[in-house]
Amino acid sequence: MDMLTEALLLGAKWALPLLALWILARCLRSMLRERYEPEVWGWLEAMDGSRAALKHWECILGRAESCDVTVRGDAVLDTHAVLVRSDRGRWRLFDLSGGDTLAEGLTDEGEGLELQDGDALWFGDQRMVFHDLDEAQRAAVERERGVPGALVSQGLTLLLLSIFQLLLALEYTQVTEGRVQMETALGFAFLILLEWCYYLLMRALDRRGFELETLAFFLCTLGLAVSASSVPEEMPKQILMLLAGVLLYLFLGLWFRDLRRTKALRWPVAAAALGFLALNVALGVRANGASNWLDVGMFRLQPSEFVKLAYIYVGATSLDRLYRRRNLFLFIGFSAVMVGALALMGDFGAALIFFVTFLVISFLRSGSFATVFLAVAGAVLAGLLVLTVKPYVAQRFAAWGHVWEDPYGAGWQQTQALSAAASGGLTGVGAGRGWLHKVFAADTDMVFCLVSEELGLLVALCAIFAVIGIAVFAVRSAARGRSSFFVIAACSAAAMLVTQLALNVFGSTDILPFTGVTFPFVSKGGSSLISCWGMLAFFKAADTRQNASFSVRLPARRRFQEYEDEEPEGGEDL
Amino acid sequence: MKKIKRRAWAALLLALALLFGTGVYVWRFAHSYRQWINFSANENLFRDGALALGTVTDRNGVVLAAVSEGRRVFADSAATRTACLHAVGDTAGNIGTGALTAFADRLTGYSLLTGATSGAGGTVALSIDERLNRTAWSALAGRRGAVLLMDYKTGEILCMVSSPSYDPNVGFDATNSWYDGVWLNRCLSAAYTPGSVFKLVTLAAAVEHIRDLDTRRFTCTGSVTVDGNVLVCSGVHGEQTVEQALANSCNCAFAELSLELGGETLRQYAERFGLTRQLQVSGVWTAAGRFEASPARSADLAWSGIGQSTDLVSPVALLRLVAAIANGGAVRELSLLRGAPGGSARLLRADTAERLAAMMHYNVVYSYGQWNFPNLDLCAKTGTAEVGDGTSHAWFAGFLADEAHPYAFVVIVEHGGGGLGNAGPVANALLQAAVSIS
Repeated sequence: MDMLTEALLLGAKWALPLLALWILARCLRSMLRERYEPEVWGWLEAMDGSRAALKHWECILGRAESCDVTVRGDAVLDTHAVLVRSDRGRWRLFDLSGGDTLAEGLTDEGEGLELQDGDALWFGDQRMVFHDLDEAQRAAVERERGVPGALVSQGLTLLLLSIFQLLLALEYTQVTEGRVQMETALGFAFLILLEWCYYLLMRALDRRGFELETLAFFLCTLGLAVSASSVPEEMPKQILMLLAGVLLYLFLGLWFRDLRRTKALRWPVAAAALGFLALNVALGVRANGASNWLDVGMFRLQPSEFVKLAYIYVGATSLDRLYRRRNLFLFIGFSAVMVGALALMGDFGAALIFFVTFLVISFLRSGSFATVFLAVAGAVLAGLLVLTVKPYVAQRFAAWGHVWEDPYGAGWQQTQALSAAASGGLTGVGAGRGWLHKVFAADTDMVFCLVSEELGLLVALCAIFAVIGIAVFAVRSAARGRSSFFVIAACSAAAMLVTQLALNVFGSTDILPFTGVTFPFVSKGGSSLISCWGMLAFFKAADTRQNASFSVRLPARRRFQEYEDEEPEGGEDL
Repeated sequence: MKKIKRRAWAALLLALALLFGTGVYVWRFAHSYRQWINFSANENLFRDGALALGTVTDRNGVVLAAVSEGRRVFADSAATRTACLHAVGDTAGNIGTGALTAFADRLTGYSLLTGATSGAGGTVALSIDERLNRTAWSALAGRRGAVLLMDYKTGEILCMVSSPSYDPNVGFDATNSWYDGVWLNRCLSAAYTPGSVFKLVTLAAAVEHIRDLDTRRFTCTGSVTVDGNVLVCSGVHGEQTVEQALANSCNCAFAELSLELGGETLRQYAERFGLTRQLQVSGVWTAAGRFEASPARSADLAWSGIGQSTDLVSPVALLRLVAAIANGGAVRELSLLRGAPGGSARLLRADTAERLAAMMHYNVVYSYGQWNFPNLDLCAKTGTAEVGDGTSHAWFAGFLADEAHPYAFVVIVEHGGGGLGNAGPVANALLQAAVSIS
């Protein structure tokens, strides 16, 4: 080893955690420190001449204080009507009062009424006049909106990430040789190439928000490192999976640009998810206690990972549909089938993730704690049933909290994971130099401890905080969310990622029972990785900062499209 | 939207829970990482269950255990390997008090900041001198037992030998009964019937509790009857002062003192001297001894006051007591590591310690024969502990009242016979070597 390499390697040990902290801090600062001021998209003028601002693309009107526009009047219901703005700038009115909303041309239900500037509307006994934005006002709104990258240069963050990846690759060249060494180096090179191509493509499209993607690429870097340690010969496969994930992300992001077509596809997606699960129940391959695998050609898929995406897609809904009871019941039925099928397959961890996500979605949709408590009570009973029926699940619960009392028996997985994690200290024993990667399932279920061992506790904690950061960002985006569809989708996707992460990290560290789920983006496994990238599209679609997201149309482009875009209206939702 | 906006914070509750759990994990990590890394499955530090890192040396830097090409290697000389086996430990961790196991966390070179480094690990310098260990080992001449020598000014244990032992490069014949209990470091982890060395405890209590002890005369007719039981003495000592009674190790005199002091008082002294509980030597736990306070005026009480009955004492606990006597009543806590002084604890009043030291010196001059210990300013007490099968453990414990050579020692030879004749020469050989080395 020449002196330069030696110096670089010594530097890398300290540089990796510092870079990770720096990258994380830059992304969080950029995502969470920027202004989030409400935007005005139109007005309703009351009879006394006062104007109420429409601050979202979906606004509820009614007497209740919690409505977006409060309309006082004896004949006004608590939630009376909904105003929805399409991403093409056209407003529609939907009645929720059962015929007590009046406007010229408003029919009973379904499609609602498209509004024009100056239209007069009656809500019970209250008359209001609708005012749209004119071009000048629209431009003013866009000028006011914060553009990402003003506080923190996104390119520099990506450059830091690239240095992180290069140093990591350098460490791997020291512990590998021959073909594997070359493939590992190429793997990291491809990752760097991919993220810069993505960056340049987005800049070309005049999009400037990269924090989500940078965090995802950071997590994927750790994931690639995990693969390089545990299955170095599978590097080309991992790269393919990563590429597939990014492509799915791009596709979904573009798909979500149009809320109408997004919503129109909910039925087919739900059907596909159910079909996929049914296929899995019927033809599933049993591996490690759960038959949640499906062999497709040379690949082994885990359908439950893709069904996660579908679940969030189906669970989200827009305000005009939210208040229909049939919607909620269908969703609850759909959830029950999902969780039931997963429990049937013995995928206890995934069933738990779906259940928590179900709770979050139903709370977001209904706002009712009572519903949530009822669901929890039901789940606890079901869980107890599972414990009595599935001995291996009960066994994991028995070992929980006592792993050091039987370190070579019931606690074997966790004691190994903890021992390896602790021996990494804060800065790690070095990439590829640990031993936990030789242990079964260390690169999936115990991946947090594997990262902690080889790259140190600091980098492993950065991975947790990256996911927490994404979740907080999703919730903050809700404050400026335009459609409740993407707000619900982003928040429930955040809940899903966080739950999955908690089960993974705390399961392997004996804080929760060991359920064997994956760490988002980091755990080895194509299905999980692709699904996580798909999940990222939900966050991206909720990112309404100016010029931030390719999943949100830019104004100029939108106006241009208004002329050519005349899609038929309609489409039934769940 | 306002409603959904508010409800969105529910999703943050989960993030908060994750944050909280992460906090719990970090706290546990900070609290228990030493326990977690010292796990034989941890291949960063262990190979086949044996610590694969670190160097153990004696106090002079002589390498007792090191790692070469990923394998554990021991000292070059077979005599050193055998004599230091229990101090160093074995690769499989069978000798739990050995340095390889007991000081594993120092040997790994692990630090919280850098983790387990791939280097050679850390170095542990033991307080023992391998030359003294070899001397003691050869003086035992194949007999089973334990030999300890320490510097009572610093607390460092300079010699620690347990027999049986074996050369770790060769192994031993498990079918040979001589090797029974070979994993046990008898110095730390065994407790024996103390016999007459326990008279030091009874005497300390007597000095502090019996006012006319100096003027009292003890009459020995060769035996004494207590509660219908006949207690036999080693001889017919006639009328004696307390000094003479100790030098004669007169059972009649000490039975009288024991009965007068009572079981509860004796128990308190045994406890205060640390003879009955587990001690920690550089973090290594030792075997507890035993003293049961028998009812007043019983034969058991008389027997227990002279170190028989159910009494048990570990060699290291006895060493600590004689070191305290040597050091004016306050003991420098014992250490197995070089230059790592422990705290200090007062076991006896200074005047009591001085009294006991003077009487132990009188023992050597009046009874044991200075010619057996040439050029040594020796204070000592013998013990011949009957173990019930007709044989006796030979004890010899004491110290040099010599500022330049502040050594305290304990020798026990299992089933060795008389203390003076069998343990005495081992102590003499060791002390002569220790004095000549320094």
